[in-house]
Amino acid sequence: MVEQHIASAFDRDLEAIQAQIMKMGGLVEAAIMDAARALETRDEELAQQVRKQDAAIDGLEELINEEAARVIALRAPAAVDLRLILSVMKISGNLERIGDYAKNIAKRTTVLAHGPSVEESAAALRRMAREVELMLKDGLDSYIQRDVELAQDVINRDRDVDQMYNALFRELLTFMMEDPRNITPCMHLHFIAKNTERMGDHVTSIAEQVVYLVTGEKPEEDRQKADTTSTVPQEG
Amino acid sequence: MNQITALDKTVQTNKTKISARNVNVHYGDSHAIKDVNVEIEDNTVTAFIGPSGCGKSTFLRCLNRMNDTIDICRVTGDIQIDGENIYDPRVDPVQLRAKVGMVFQKPNPFPKSIYDNVAYGPRIHGLAANKAELDEIVEKSLRRGAIWEEVKDRLDAPGTGLSGGQQQRLCIARAVATEPEVLLMDEPCSALDPIATAQIEELIDELRNSYSVVIVTHSMQQAARVSQKTAFFHLGNLVEFGATGQIFTNPEDPRTESYITGRIG
Repeated sequence: MVEQHIASAFDRDLEAIQAQIMKMGGLVEAAIMDAARALETRDEELAQQVRKQDAAIDGLEELINEEAARVIALRAPAAVDLRLILSVMKISGNLERIGDYAKNIAKRTTVLAHGPSVEESAAALRRMAREVELMLKDGLDSYIQRDVELAQDVINRDRDVDQMYNALFRELLTFMMEDPRNITPCMHLHFIAKNTERMGDHVTSIAEQVVYLVTGEKPEEDRQKADTTSTVPQEG
Repeated sequence: MNQITALDKTVQTNKTKISARNVNVHYGDSHAIKDVNVEIEDNTVTAFIGPSGCGKSTFLRCLNRMNDTIDICRVTGDIQIDGENIYDPRVDPVQLRAKVGMVFQKPNPFPKSIYDNVAYGPRIHGLAANKAELDEIVEKSLRRGAIWEEVKDRLDAPGTGLSGGQQQRLCIARAVATEPEVLLMDEPCSALDPIATAQIEELIDELRNSYSVVIVTHSMQQAARVSQKTAFFHLGNLVEFGATGQIFTNPEDPRTESYITGRIG
């Protein structure tokens, strides 16, 4: 990547498109943190702001896809340039989905703010969101620095997020069984936990794109999966 | 990688057609080809790419001993077609060139009728016993050259009166008329418009069913479109040789990467 293209406009195009990705990444990181903070502090105004901000994220995704299509049409990218364009399109898609999940969390926060609070879970959710946000930050850093090792680290850390989700799943299940009045807030909190866990999956997918971009190959090992809730038996 | 090869049409055979070992070419003091080793498969289109002066055309010309005609050119090493050394003194270069046909950059039909252009090779090699057989060869070759429908009513018209794309297809028909086993193409589309280029590329893909095709091209997009294997030459070295899909998505050598992505290398 040190070498420049003979056509310098090609370099400018690729740099511009990557700058858009970083801008989008920054907005999404902020959306995750704001959504988590709004949930913890029952801050409806902040939640509303997260919902509004999502339009900017969606707009950037569209812009990036248009730019990518233009580069493909005009430059016929090959090898690392081709992989860069493919990864940019996928990463922008991942970021857009993460943004949607943050928006959904903010939406549920508005509902939750009017009900009874479930303190313990809110703190756990905040930690989980913090971890996902850190993974995203490292994932984007690994992208800019073309750092496969860091990307692999991000991929491995998805396991922790999955485990946090498992713990929350069980905890929320217990609360609901204890008191049926908890069901509505706990269902919302469960969706929030699931959304955060899905964010982790999208961050992992971003890190996988980094590995593909640099090496030309998908990461070797199967992705570590620790979300076991789909196999939790029914209790009678 | 798996997905990429899955998109390519199935290659019926991976049998080696041409095998080159330790090939070196000198033009006087200049060392044009440096120790090239390559195995070219049958029923496969192999593309040679590389910057000007990298030796790709020189190497192509070694494959049917076209370099013999250049006095200062010296070829060493071993080039075998179907296990036979083509530089063996017992090999007749004229016979060899009937077996290894060639199409050049600029369409170069003989100043003769369309019919005679195609009939020329079969006549001198005595491939037809009578006029009916010759007619048959001419028709078959023109069909293979994907030009029969356009010229069947004016076979007596001069070949030079055709359009550039038609002339090039006529030259391909002429090259296949002697039933070659290998077809060498040196920049066959560089003088043609996009439509004629697409027609020639479509033709190359069909020719692959019968021949081993080797094409030198400056258009990397063309190499990517028509070939299954790609060889990248640089400063007389064969830098990288592999499946076209791999070369264009994930080349191994940084020099290949620089060249195909349009960076200074």
